[in-house]
Amino acid sequence: MEEKVLSLKRRYRIAVAWAQDSNTLGAIDKAVKRGFIQAILIGRSSEIIKICIEEGIDEKRFTIIESDNETKASSVAVGLAKRGEADIVMKGLVGTDKFLKAVMDKENGLMLPNAVLSYVGAIEIPAYHKLLFITDPAVIPFPDLEQKVAMAVYAIEMAQKFGIEKPKIALIGASEKMNRHFENSVDYSIMCKMADRGQIKNCIMDGPLDLFLACDKNSIGIKGVETPVDGEADILLFPSLESCNPFYKALMLFAQGELAGLIRGTEKPVIVMSRSESEKSKYFCIALSCLMA
Amino acid sequence: MVLKTLSDLNRLVEGGPRKKLVLAAAQDQHSLGAVIRAWKNNIIEPILIGDKEGIQNICALNNYDITGVRIIHEPETEMSVEMAVRMVSSKQADILMKGKIGTSTLLKCVLNKEWGLRTGNLLSHFALFEVETYHKVIAVTDVAMNIAPNLQEKIAIVNNSVSCLNRLGYVMPKVAVLGAVEMVNENMEATLHAALLSKMNQRDQIKNCIIDGPLAFDNAISLESSQHKGIRSEVAGETDLLLMPDIEVGNVLYKSLVFFAKAKVASIILGALVPIVLTSRSDSEQAKFDSILLAAAACR
Repeated sequence: MEEKVLSLKRRYRIAVAWAQDSNTLGAIDKAVKRGFIQAILIGRSSEIIKICIEEGIDEKRFTIIESDNETKASSVAVGLAKRGEADIVMKGLVGTDKFLKAVMDKENGLMLPNAVLSYVGAIEIPAYHKLLFITDPAVIPFPDLEQKVAMAVYAIEMAQKFGIEKPKIALIGASEKMNRHFENSVDYSIMCKMADRGQIKNCIMDGPLDLFLACDKNSIGIKGVETPVDGEADILLFPSLESCNPFYKALMLFAQGELAGLIRGTEKPVIVMSRSESEKSKYFCIALSCLMA
Repeated sequence: MVLKTLSDLNRLVEGGPRKKLVLAAAQDQHSLGAVIRAWKNNIIEPILIGDKEGIQNICALNNYDITGVRIIHEPETEMSVEMAVRMVSSKQADILMKGKIGTSTLLKCVLNKEWGLRTGNLLSHFALFEVETYHKVIAVTDVAMNIAPNLQEKIAIVNNSVSCLNRLGYVMPKVAVLGAVEMVNENMEATLHAALLSKMNQRDQIKNCIIDGPLAFDNAISLESSQHKGIRSEVAGETDLLLMPDIEVGNVLYKSLVFFAKAKVASIILGALVPIVLTSRSDSEQAKFDSILLAAAACR
């Protein structure tokens, strides 16, 4: 991912809301040094400078805008992007709800008209031979058909930025059967037909599929299910936030997974990460947001 | 094997043992003519149940020679239907046909829990058309029985029709689920049902056929039209069975094929123990004859 970003030969302007956080500053510093971003930090400048000194970061590389509360800092960061003075917005130490409120503000926010707000993550795991895109672990609790379609489109767009022209997208369920009592299997069947008919473009879609059929070729032979995804999924679309969220966390905890993710549905990339996320994950997110900018 | 015309059905009945057709309330000129003709053509072996005198009068009046035909005298209409149904359920007859009685009376007997012809399947109407402008016969369901089938009922209707087509020699009939458009539209339930049926077919939950839909009528029957729209479909242009969204569409299509396109049609009721011939007075003599032929060919 880093190579891809460097090959763009551009410096993206990234506005960080409530930036006084060591993991965030560490990740920003690394990306600045690599040469693909320029950072505008919004927050308590004294604290930002203090952390920089502690971490051995040269704060002169950043532009710092003084702000004394997290809500205002979020609005300032979003405002910079809105006016075209920043390409990317990133959440620092501010709470997700306060930050998203600024992003979703009807007048001054960054939402595209009528867009669905969702989240797409890219996860790297040693046990899988390629990057796996997942959606939605963070924003939509129980997506309906329209939201699922939007999630699919966002994930496809992201995969395409990684050079996968026609990503294989698996719509994840507990079984591959269509069962009218499982609403997700109904939505998935409808989505597959939409992909067939070109209503969802640039993908090879199948679902419902269980995780084995989506990501394991052996299972396909054993189960005898014919699927164009063929155990080679690039994208996993989950039926709910509560199924997707533990999935990625399990991979991070138990399978050395690394996740980068972004909010979609906005005019400009918005990075929302858990405050507890590592510096490395934050760095990946920054790189990913540059690819999507 | 593909049927090009309705008379190709003859090939399926030739040589085999003649199927026994029982005509309930047989004192009916419209059905008798077709039954006698089918008998003379060695398609079936008729058993006539009804008012014996009435039956003989009609035959005399129309010069039908019924020497050797088994007639069972039962002047009570409802009793004659019950007797006919019991003959079928006790395996003494292979096909049931409606004579001079209302459809509802006949169906009530067919659905009788003790001695009826229930299989647990939904009853559905199956029509087979020979249209000059299509390169083979095309089956249409359901144009006369199920009013507004839900998904489960549509699955049953497809299964009935597919197993009938399988018996007619179609190994993997191509099924088009009809819609007004080929796109999925959340506001058009038929298109959603079509998507679900397609997926169930892909997952082998509906077997022995290839299902695609939604397909608009032109996409279903014309490859050129489907290609023009950029639809990739194994079914488009080669449809063997058209599944109707509801009875309104089905009935109008049926009648416009017959009246405007001068199509020949044969139709039977599926889902009971045996095929049921349930023609209406307005059907032509030829249609009644072809329906008997279809029933004989569709017998197990």
